[in-house]
Amino acid sequence: MLDAMMKTKLFAWVDRRLGLESIIKSQLTEYPAPKNLNWMWVFGAIAMTVLVLQIVTGIFLAMYYKPSAMLTEGGFSLAFDSVERIMRDVNFGWLIRYTHAVGASMFFLVVYIHMGRGMYYGSYKEPRELIWIIGVVILLIMQGAAFFGYLLPWGQMSFWGATVITNLFGAIPVLGDLIGQLLMGGFSVGDPTLNRFFSLHYLLPLLLVAIVGGHIHALHTVHSNNPDGIDLDQSDPKNIVTFHPYVTMKDAFAVSAFMILYMYIVFFNPQMGGYFIEVDNYMPANSLQTPAHIVPVWYLTPWYTILRSFEDKLLGIVAMGASLAILFVYPFLDRSKVRSARYRPMYRGMLILFFIDVIVLGYCGHSEPTATLKVVGQIATFYYFLFFIALPFLPKVEKTKPLPEGV
Amino acid sequence: MTDQTDHSRRNFLYVAAGGLGAVAGGATAVPFLGSMLPAADTLAAATTEFDVSTVAEGQLVVVQWQGKPVFVTHRTPELLAQLDGHDDELKDPNSEAIEAVQAEWMDTPEKRKNRSIKPEYLIVVASCTHLGCIPLYKPSKGRAEWGDSVPSNWVGGWHCPCHGSYYDLAARVIKGSPAPHNLHVMPYKFINDTTVVIG
Repeated sequence: MLDAMMKTKLFAWVDRRLGLESIIKSQLTEYPAPKNLNWMWVFGAIAMTVLVLQIVTGIFLAMYYKPSAMLTEGGFSLAFDSVERIMRDVNFGWLIRYTHAVGASMFFLVVYIHMGRGMYYGSYKEPRELIWIIGVVILLIMQGAAFFGYLLPWGQMSFWGATVITNLFGAIPVLGDLIGQLLMGGFSVGDPTLNRFFSLHYLLPLLLVAIVGGHIHALHTVHSNNPDGIDLDQSDPKNIVTFHPYVTMKDAFAVSAFMILYMYIVFFNPQMGGYFIEVDNYMPANSLQTPAHIVPVWYLTPWYTILRSFEDKLLGIVAMGASLAILFVYPFLDRSKVRSARYRPMYRGMLILFFIDVIVLGYCGHSEPTATLKVVGQIATFYYFLFFIALPFLPKVEKTKPLPEGV
Repeated sequence: MTDQTDHSRRNFLYVAAGGLGAVAGGATAVPFLGSMLPAADTLAAATTEFDVSTVAEGQLVVVQWQGKPVFVTHRTPELLAQLDGHDDELKDPNSEAIEAVQAEWMDTPEKRKNRSIKPEYLIVVASCTHLGCIPLYKPSKGRAEWGDSVPSNWVGGWHCPCHGSYYDLAARVIKGSPAPHNLHVMPYKFINDTTVVIG
């Protein structure tokens, strides 16, 4: 099909002016992909699909959403009412909003699996350090976009979540007050905060698209890692398949399967028991009353637990920042020459424990704080950092297994 | 390499996959485009009530109906008399060209000429059928009041300031105007002597 299209006169006309043929060849039909990529390699394509869906649904929601905390005649705010109007009056508004709200959770789910894949098979290691680092930037921007977006419905959880996080920045020494006021445009979360959060919520995904471009460019410069984590002779057809049609078709299949799951949730269980959309957020924001149990959405709870694990406010904030910042130096902390955890027994054990650890952190952050859970959270926080700090010393004690010659 | 491809099978798969993809793409577009159509609350606010007795004789009031301006004009017998004698200068004297310029109640030649249920109250959509500006009300005959903004044989009616369309006092478009049709009428009914429900 593509071949037939590339033989047409129209294509030749465009090609002479855009160099389309060489792009198609170098990025698709002749771009080499390792033959042994497993299903864990489909999550990048799925993440891109979700990003596009988030942007498209977001654009359509913005046609009806009103970022204003002004009170309406009914006593609610314009923002809260406009979201309810989208749910009740706008044609298919419920579908578009649920796709967007569930999409936030799905985006993080897919990206966390995508990151876990990279960690397990050593995709962050030489020469792919920049792909990983750009990926961490993507994660941070996603967290920012999610945080800004969460304020927009102007419900109780929106309001108090934003209050907590902006106060967090307020605890930074010297500059805290200034940063808090810069974020809020006032002395508490209010109408100016809502307006600027909407503006930034619109900006960040567009930024994300550009940075994802960089992520992919870096990938296509050094080419994909593979489950064995070995360097493959790219010119040997025994090792590789072309990206199109082999990987594109596999990705398309995976995206279809993912969409079935995603849409099942959108249609039948959009709140996901309060995990994807918190029930308390259907109460309009009230600046004079905090909800009884306030927690971030699930995808931010691991970091929330790290924050809560320290008695000292500033120390908690520093630890939370460090838990994210340490991801930037992860490729340089890991000194092992072997990439894939398949051939690194100790790393494999530590990493699986790390995955469990992050889930435990998430669970603790989502539950009401109790004495037991506090200790569990502190232990989990300790292991989170221990994992990274132990990495440089690992090659001294770890006996790696012999690597295969080819695939 | 010898070509062992079963081309008819492969072409069938291309068409089947492409066709399904197109159907899925089309189905995805439905909710997105659908969301841009008027929402339920917009549709619900579709009628306007108005007391026509508040319009003084010979005067015009602009009210809003579905976000659009609507002329409610109180025509005196003199103004109604100005409707006769210039049928050959009108593009569509009997309001028959399109559905939007006629209504069910236009069941007599008299009502077709007056374009109103009660002859004195003309109620029409105030958007020029050319490009939607609101025409200016210039009811008196000739150029005495209006100068050369109207033709010398002016019969009284409306003049659109945007591109110079002219309508007579039954909002029927005069030949030579860029506007293609008479001003649109909308469904309305009198629920008592003086109160009209538009829409």
